[in-house]
Amino acid sequence: MKPHWHETIQQYVDGQSSAEEAAALRKALSEDAELRALYLDYMNLDVALGAMADAAAVEENRSNQTVTLHEARAGSAPNYWRWAAAAAAFAALLVFATLPRGPKPLRTGQDVAAAIRSSQGATARLSFDTTSALPAWMSPTASLLEPPGVPE
Amino acid sequence: MLNLNDQHHHQFLRLFAEHEPALRAYIRSMLPSRGDASEVMQEVAVLLWQKFAEFDASRDFRKWAFGVARYEVLAYLRDLARDRHVFDEALVNRLAEDAAASELRHEAQRDALEACLQKLPPAQRELVLSAYTKDTRIDELAARRGQTAMSLYKVLHRIRRALLECVRRQLAMEGLK
Repeated sequence: MKPHWHETIQQYVDGQSSAEEAAALRKALSEDAELRALYLDYMNLDVALGAMADAAAVEENRSNQTVTLHEARAGSAPNYWRWAAAAAAFAALLVFATLPRGPKPLRTGQDVAAAIRSSQGATARLSFDTTSALPAWMSPTASLLEPPGVPE
Repeated sequence: MLNLNDQHHHQFLRLFAEHEPALRAYIRSMLPSRGDASEVMQEVAVLLWQKFAEFDASRDFRKWAFGVARYEVLAYLRDLARDRHVFDEALVNRLAEDAAASELRHEAQRDALEACLQKLPPAQRELVLSAYTKDTRIDELAARRGQTAMSLYKVLHRIRRALLECVRRQLAMEGLK
């Protein structure tokens, strides 16, 4: 097989070949099994490189986020005003604790029911679908999945 | 406890995730354009899910998915018949048969690529991965590097050829030609 096919195939795949070169390649591919094997190897390489680039990009994003978090933690200047605010709050708490107080009011039944409803609502908002094999963000078929059902 | 519908989801996702790289490579073998291949891949994923209820679990999922993909590619190509980058139906069928027959070898090539990529000088490795990163435009990448698009294509061609020869050598050493 002629070595120029390596270049011709890649130009074709990159959309860089002329109409004549493209026609010549198509004709040769129809007739030459060895050339078809080379073409398919390049296509396979192309797909694999795309997948690796995607994986590398995901990895880079993740490590950038980690670095940013570390930088935020390590690089922040000490905030003396926070210490002052905390000290003031503590002092106010001490004063409040020493004040004389009346009996603690009891919660009414309505208050308790409202609190239960509120915590149930919060729990429902926190619930997630544990039945999916893959998290929705990484699933290639995420758009196909129905919203999670509410258990009976 | 999972209900039937959830089990169905699970089974499909497991099979699809397992065979997705092979399916993507198979579709790519029939469509020279990356954009076309990506579009058809999405269509095929939807179709596979829609038809999954008809799939007989005792059959080979990959073969079944390849069959669905082949019809979808042919339908897509009929719509694009006037494009100069489109293969005729006879050539598509021949490539599809060759691709299915070479699937084991191609899988081994994909596995060997990681090691071959590590053998590249770091600058070349970074360049090729940048070129393949989603939404990268070769003319913009070339401009950032102070090159013309044409000269960058030539560099990428040399790198891809080196990688292909590396994975082929690797497979020959393992007795897989």
